[in-house]
Amino acid sequence: MSILFYASALVAVLSTIMVITRVNVVHALLYFIVSLLAVAVIFYTLGAPMAAALEVIVYAGAIMVMFLFVMMMLNLGQRTIDQERVWLSPNIWIGPSILAAILLVELLLGLITTDATIAHTMVEAKEIGIALFGPYVLAVELASMLLLAGLVGAFHLARK
Amino acid sequence: MFSFEVGSLLNIAFVLGAGLVVSIMMIWVERRFLGFFSDRLGPNRVGPFGLFQVIADAVKMLTKEDWIPPFSDKFTFVVAPMILPIVMLLSLAVIPFGPGVGVMDLNIGLLWIFAMAGLASYSTMLGGLASNNKFALLGSLRGAGQMISYEVFMGISILGIVILSDSFSLREIVEAQRDGWFVIPQFFGFIVFMVAGMAESHRWPFDLPEGEAEIISGYNTEYSGMKFGLFMIGEYIGMVVMSALIPVLFFGGWLAPFGLEFGNEIFSGLFWMGAKTTFFLLFFVLVRAALVRPRYDQLMSYGWLVMLPLSLVNLLITGAVVLYQAG
Amino acid sequence: MNVDLFPLVLYSVIVIVLIVALTAVSHLLGQKRKDHATDEVYESGMLSVGSAQLKISVPFYLTAILFIIFDLEAVFLFAWAISIRETGWLGYAEVFIFIAILIAGLVYLWRAGALEWRSQRQRDDRLHTIGKSGVVNIDKKTGKAHKTEQPKQGGAH
Repeated sequence: MSILFYASALVAVLSTIMVITRVNVVHALLYFIVSLLAVAVIFYTLGAPMAAALEVIVYAGAIMVMFLFVMMMLNLGQRTIDQERVWLSPNIWIGPSILAAILLVELLLGLITTDATIAHTMVEAKEIGIALFGPYVLAVELASMLLLAGLVGAFHLARK
Repeated sequence: MFSFEVGSLLNIAFVLGAGLVVSIMMIWVERRFLGFFSDRLGPNRVGPFGLFQVIADAVKMLTKEDWIPPFSDKFTFVVAPMILPIVMLLSLAVIPFGPGVGVMDLNIGLLWIFAMAGLASYSTMLGGLASNNKFALLGSLRGAGQMISYEVFMGISILGIVILSDSFSLREIVEAQRDGWFVIPQFFGFIVFMVAGMAESHRWPFDLPEGEAEIISGYNTEYSGMKFGLFMIGEYIGMVVMSALIPVLFFGGWLAPFGLEFGNEIFSGLFWMGAKTTFFLLFFVLVRAALVRPRYDQLMSYGWLVMLPLSLVNLLITGAVVLYQAG
Repeated sequence: MNVDLFPLVLYSVIVIVLIVALTAVSHLLGQKRKDHATDEVYESGMLSVGSAQLKISVPFYLTAILFIIFDLEAVFLFAWAISIRETGWLGYAEVFIFIAILIAGLVYLWRAGALEWRSQRQRDDRLHTIGKSGVVNIDKKTGKAHKTEQPKQGGAH
């Protein structure tokens, strides 16, 4: 099982690198979908099957579909691709990369000095349901109001 | 390893082989039965009863010119048709075909099916987007709109079954139907799910994305050769997945009606599952022959204003009844 | 990990390899033709004018938003449906409120015309043809035809 974890972790990292280095937005979206699927497999190996399924259904199946939908509607052409190439020049990304590299070194140091193994407890779907509609029910109701607000807001913004 | 246990190599080969063979044979079945339903014969020249028509079609697909339009987005153009068959074949993996026959029994099997159905809509959208052709783009937009609208209540209509059987695992859902098939308490869920399934696999009367004679061929206008073949095969595999899923969810899967089991348990299970799947495959072909294609706005209104509230009401009523019976 | 994922992984790998191999075989076996119309966009024989950039109507965008909102709602319903017996009537009441809020949103959008796919011109035409009392356009009491509304100047036609 741990080989599945490491393999999908590698796929996730590689496809995310591809996402940030592509100049064509649709290619970047495709690699992002691959990285989401890899993360879902990672969730499954860590003992969260419901989270894995929901990641694919919601993130890769709904949110990315909307990204692609918006891409199809805007239909940016070759000009955007050339602009992206200009923006990918080294002197733009070298600053943030150095800062992010410092964070990465900190993270790796923290991980190496702990004694963690891959988890063996499975969080079943039932437990998530019981938790959501038990102690955390207010979060669910607030979520529905938030979704309603998003719905009405999007409608009025679209009318403009 | 080579026995009929869940997860053995024999199972993988069986499921993959049976799935592919049945999907490919649907090419012939569809044309033949569409002919019968329209009072004419279908293809009957090539081989006995026209059965070799499938081989002829396959050879034609493989050897046709595999042209990638120079004005298209080449990477996406090649990837888009591969998504649909892969995703649909993967959904075939969690379906229990018999007691011990099936590739895998995921404890979230039903959610896996929804995840794969959600990913299938990418094939339509990317195909049209990559083609850089006005008609293809229009077809893929309409197709995407239709698929996502009908995907919403596909999940909600099944929740009644999840309530009744208390599990997402498809094998446990089949086991829970030993005291009565779920189609009787969940009749409206069945109707809604069947409509959603037909929309997801682009079956007529929901084949607006292909739009024959309206927008040339919709999202697969610029596709030729095997890539077009992959779109078609993907659709047929989707149809087979739906026809196998409806018996599993609503009609008892591989359980025999009225206890009419015979012979070996595995053989009996496979027989009944095959019979039910065949029934629904032919039913889908009949629906294609019988119904007219609705207009796009009628389609969308029907989905959002009729099917969605119906599935939600079904869910609430089922929940209330189960809770009342549980005390 | 008490569930062995190996058969599924093996199956997935076989499926992906199979489909990619099919595509590759077709690429190798296909003919290569270069007629003078080979590289042009297909539009039933007509020459294509303008690039493939359409002005997209608002209903598509609203459908996408509606889809996301209701998909997220479905996620909460998944979590509830599997745990219905454990959360009992309290959970049922909570889900009832949840669904009611979102149905209210759907009804609001329906009445506000967000789900209307016809263009303004199609709606005017329809009003003009159908008139006030339905498709048949005959007054129920007298049995005579209604006077249909006249189209606005320069509007519907």
